[in-house]
Amino acid sequence: MNDVSDVDSGKGRTRVRLRLGPQGVLLILCGAALLRIALFSELYLRYVKEGLRPYLVVSGVVLIVLGVVGMVRRDHEDERSEAHDHHEPGDEWSDGHDQPEHGDERTDGHDQHEHGDERTDGHDLPEHVGHDHTRNPRIAWLLTAPALALLLFPPPALGSYSAEREEARVAAQGTGTFPKLPAGDPVDLTVGAFASRAEWDTGASLKGRTVRLTGFVTRDDGGVWYVARLLVACCAADVQALKVEIRGADAPAADTWVTVTGTWRPTGKPGSEAARPVLDAASVQRISAPSDPYEKR
Amino acid sequence: MVADGARVAARALVYAVVGGVALITIATVGSVLGPMLALDIATPAMAAWWTVFTAIAVQGMPFLLLGTVVSAAIGAFVPERVFKRVLPKNPALAVPVAGAAGVVLPGCECASVPVADSLMRRGVAPAAALAFLLSAPAINPVVLVATSIAFPGNPAMVGARLVASLAAAVVMGWLWVRFGREEWLPARRTGGAGAAGLGGWPGFRDGLQHDFLHAGGFLVVGAAAAATFNILVPRSVLDLFTDSPWLSVLLLAVLAVVLCVCSEADAFVAASLTGFSPTARLAFMVVGPMVDLKLIALQAGTFGRAFAVRFSAVTWVVAVVSSGVVGWWLL
Repeated sequence: MNDVSDVDSGKGRTRVRLRLGPQGVLLILCGAALLRIALFSELYLRYVKEGLRPYLVVSGVVLIVLGVVGMVRRDHEDERSEAHDHHEPGDEWSDGHDQPEHGDERTDGHDQHEHGDERTDGHDLPEHVGHDHTRNPRIAWLLTAPALALLLFPPPALGSYSAEREEARVAAQGTGTFPKLPAGDPVDLTVGAFASRAEWDTGASLKGRTVRLTGFVTRDDGGVWYVARLLVACCAADVQALKVEIRGADAPAADTWVTVTGTWRPTGKPGSEAARPVLDAASVQRISAPSDPYEKR
Repeated sequence: MVADGARVAARALVYAVVGGVALITIATVGSVLGPMLALDIATPAMAAWWTVFTAIAVQGMPFLLLGTVVSAAIGAFVPERVFKRVLPKNPALAVPVAGAAGVVLPGCECASVPVADSLMRRGVAPAAALAFLLSAPAINPVVLVATSIAFPGNPAMVGARLVASLAAAVVMGWLWVRFGREEWLPARRTGGAGAAGLGGWPGFRDGLQHDFLHAGGFLVVGAAAAATFNILVPRSVLDLFTDSPWLSVLLLAVLAVVLCVCSEADAFVAASLTGFSPTARLAFMVVGPMVDLKLIALQAGTFGRAFAVRFSAVTWVVAVVSSGVVGWWLL
């Protein structure tokens, strides 16, 4: 059994107990980790897309409820398993399959099914099955790694390391004219919007406009630097990089978040290999990292 | 009873206070010392690994919970005879029905493994449950809508994905009917132990707790493997291999296994692999939800290692062939 503490709190037939077992602790830990990143902060945006937030919060609540419910059990559910635990004499099926070390509840389940056939006392069987299921699978301890990481040291958002390794890709949408840019001087654009207009827009809608981009600094070996953003479809495992080359300003340290104001520099015919997103910078301002680090698709 | 309730409440309060204080202390000390330590040991690659690892685990949790809730509910509330009545008696006929039924489980692959497990425990023929396992993450509406968004103006891709995934799932089911052996699956599955199991709320609660923790552990194993490959294999390396059409199909089929992109997101990744033929991208989307490292870990945990290795290898081949044929036909 997995009791850490197991104290009686009554003497009647329907005694109620509170037990602190690893199962409950693990479930509550996972639930707490999900709530910490999705409900009490916006850290979840470092790992998954925004749309998953409600699911994360609901999962966190369900896991905590499940863990708490597992701790508070009515005693008559436990009598059987306790007898089982203590190898009471006369309990003919307490031997032979009580081997938590082997941890494989599957074989246990099988055994217990056979024993269930032998026993005629229909009342005992369900409790025993219940007990069997309360055993903690060993592999579950691995859940503490991501849960504790999220609770104690939430890993940082992906940044220039990933952006450098990924080829910058804008979805190949084909050339054509784009809708007119919104009013504003400078006009705020996402890195993705700027890059796709620079690469595909035959109408040159960027021409003559002062734009402002926000992203983190990424450098390459040749001394060129970029304002980059990562694009996330579902979670951080599927990031794609978006980069805009910056000219006319010195490069800040990699991973610094900046807003760059400047004008578009055409590099080639739209749709051709030569058409790359390049911005002549008029000013570069450091900013603090936004809570939502990735660009949405 | 009232005194009992009060005592439990008092005890819960003590636990909560003691546990809470301990947690807050650890968190405070950790968050002060942690960054100092972490900055010293963490290289950018290590930091990126942790982020991807955590992201896959976080992303998988809600779907895994959904899957275990459905599977625990099936185990606790749905009597065996329901499936007997709904599915054809002949396994060969039950396979396509179960495969098509995959449409109803709106989730990604993490959810389908526990559900298929509980279906088997409820006496559904293994072949039919396996067809469901393979088709559910690939052909449900959420995934198909994501695919159509990722490939705008290209409905053939959505159709091809549906047809190729369903075909591969049904073929795998039939292969199991013909060649599958019961001993590859854990013994419990064939004993109908579910009939003697605990029904109702206690059964639901215990099944849910146990299944979630069990599958969650394997999800963590899969996430670690996926994060490792994600960091080791930069996707830009792929551009070197896109010359041969057949090689590119195989390459993306291997990539789908190691990258473990969730089936709800893989269409976007496939759409971004612009250097590859449509058939290769289709193979990426057909193989991904059926065979990947995360799934192999989950299946090994649920059905045993012997099963997971054989089943995943054959499924990979069938899925590649199926997407090759459908791609040649539709794309």
